[in-house]
Amino acid sequence: MAVRLATKRAALGPEGVMDRRGFEERALPHLRALYGLALRLTGDASAAEDLVQETYLKGLQAFVTLRDPDRVRPWLFQILSRLVTDRHRASGREVPLETPEDLDRFSLYDRIADEDPLPYSDRLHEDFLAQFRDEDVRRALVRIPEAYRVPLVLVYVEGLSYRELADFLGCPIGTVMSRLHRGRKALERELWDCALRRGFIKGEKS
Amino acid sequence: MSAISCEDAQRRLFAHLDRALADEDVEALETHLEACLECCDRLEFSRRLDSFVRSRLGEASLPPGLEERVHRALAVVAPPSEEP
Repeated sequence: MAVRLATKRAALGPEGVMDRRGFEERALPHLRALYGLALRLTGDASAAEDLVQETYLKGLQAFVTLRDPDRVRPWLFQILSRLVTDRHRASGREVPLETPEDLDRFSLYDRIADEDPLPYSDRLHEDFLAQFRDEDVRRALVRIPEAYRVPLVLVYVEGLSYRELADFLGCPIGTVMSRLHRGRKALERELWDCALRRGFIKGEKS
Repeated sequence: MSAISCEDAQRRLFAHLDRALADEDVEALETHLEACLECCDRLEFSRRLDSFVRSRLGEASLPPGLEERVHRALAVVAPPSEEP
């Protein structure tokens, strides 16, 4: 009991404010999850490590503003996602989003059915997907526009609900829904482009 | 409840997979799916693709030394407070 009390005291600064040790106790257990998110968002191990370190530094500075320390995990995820968005904007590499109508029209299901790249398969769509390597999928995800990638990765990796995502991204649920829809469409198209590059499809290169 | 078109149904498939549709939208979609084999196939493909992507993303293992690196970085910006 004495040890537990000492630990608790050590986690509190003079004003009852969490200090570095308190922050570390609450935040470091989420290191692996944060790294996983960073890796899926950046597609680069070294960039992901830098991003995680920066997230923790920003988290420590802002920890006193966190009202509910039990929500440290989504809060850290939010910091990390915003860093990705800010860096992307600052880099000037942000490509203009194509018109949503173009993206909405794309259908991997239809492309596979139209091209019929595996004429002897009785499970065409399933067998088509089985040709992709893990790396193909990760690369495809990194190539989709950041505005769609962030919510999509949070759904895939963290299983966030639309309500949680709306709070997280500070936008209405309708926006979350359309970003996830277009994110999936963009991912479908990246996978199709990958299939063309890797020669799964013998048709035209478009 | 009004019937929905294939286009409306397809617009709702992803949200349906994420269990994010309102009850009346789920009902409208399910009514459409009962009568439309193609939209059923599309839903099944989307479900399979989602599960395929999730499985390919997998779990990232923590790089050796990252925890220590973060510890060191935090120690530099905010030295540990005195033990009481």
